[in-house]
Amino acid sequence: MMPTLVLVEFIWVNIYGLGLLFQKILRGSTVFKVFIALTVSQTPQASSNLLAMDWQGQKLAEQLVQILLWAFAAVSFGTGYVLGSFQMMMLIYAGGVFLTTLVTVPNWPFFNRHPLKWLDPSVAEKHPKPQQQQAVSSKKKPAKK
Amino acid sequence: MHSFGYRANALLTFAVTILALMCAMASFSDNFNHPSPSSSVQVLNVNWFQKQPNGNDEVSLTLNISADLQSLFTWNTKQVFVFLAAEYETPKNSLNQISLWDGIIASKEHAKFWTHTSNKYRFIDQGSNLRGKEFNLTLHWHVMPKTGKMFADKLVMSGYRLPKEYR
Repeated sequence: MMPTLVLVEFIWVNIYGLGLLFQKILRGSTVFKVFIALTVSQTPQASSNLLAMDWQGQKLAEQLVQILLWAFAAVSFGTGYVLGSFQMMMLIYAGGVFLTTLVTVPNWPFFNRHPLKWLDPSVAEKHPKPQQQQAVSSKKKPAKK
Repeated sequence: MHSFGYRANALLTFAVTILALMCAMASFSDNFNHPSPSSSVQVLNVNWFQKQPNGNDEVSLTLNISADLQSLFTWNTKQVFVFLAAEYETPKNSLNQISLWDGIIASKEHAKFWTHTSNKYRFIDQGSNLRGKEFNLTLHWHVMPKTGKMFADKLVMSGYRLPKEYR
């Protein structure tokens, strides 16, 4: 049992790594760009990315993963122990993992309720960044020969 | 910063870790089982009893082995391996153990059984010590879990004796 779990985890980690490599290679392809737009959820540089997850959403997603998995672990172990069925424990837990994946992994809208408000580009041009006068003067050599 | 792949990986890794913990707990729960197995063996017949050309005694027995091993099964039991060994002492060896019969019990329902059989494996001594020998028949079992620790134990039945002369 245990070696099987280690093997599954090993295979998963390697598949994930290969997936990243695959991504890099196909980054130019249009189809892949669309897929990434739907799934990759970096906090957006522009506010127009409707499919992102904001920081609060990411925290919520992480909390949900913990809560749901521990809850399903407790329920499945308890049920399995009381019914005397190892298979029941595994089935309930597998269902729980699947449900948790559905709830927390895709970029659902409720993970984007506190989006960051970036300054609109047209407004930003009117407020140029301050000159860095003091930094320049301190670099000058005090004495000249 | 989180990506889809990052979340999926973190979730699955955490899920597998928790699964490992549950399996450890399931194995630990086996310690709360206090089994009460019972067994009896009758030697129905000594089929033949000869000295082989190489000088070793050999005997063939017909046995009736009956046992109730149902209390060994828990929710975490995959199967029970059971074997019957003849045990006796000789001048050369303080303990001789010879497996006469074994079987695999796959479920609790099949754990209460009897079998009427001649010995599955040959009963051959190291030497010529078996005439009139007193021996024990010990039922050994290994409870193989679905996950975790395996438990092994035995039940000693004494008072068996082989004939004084070859047959």
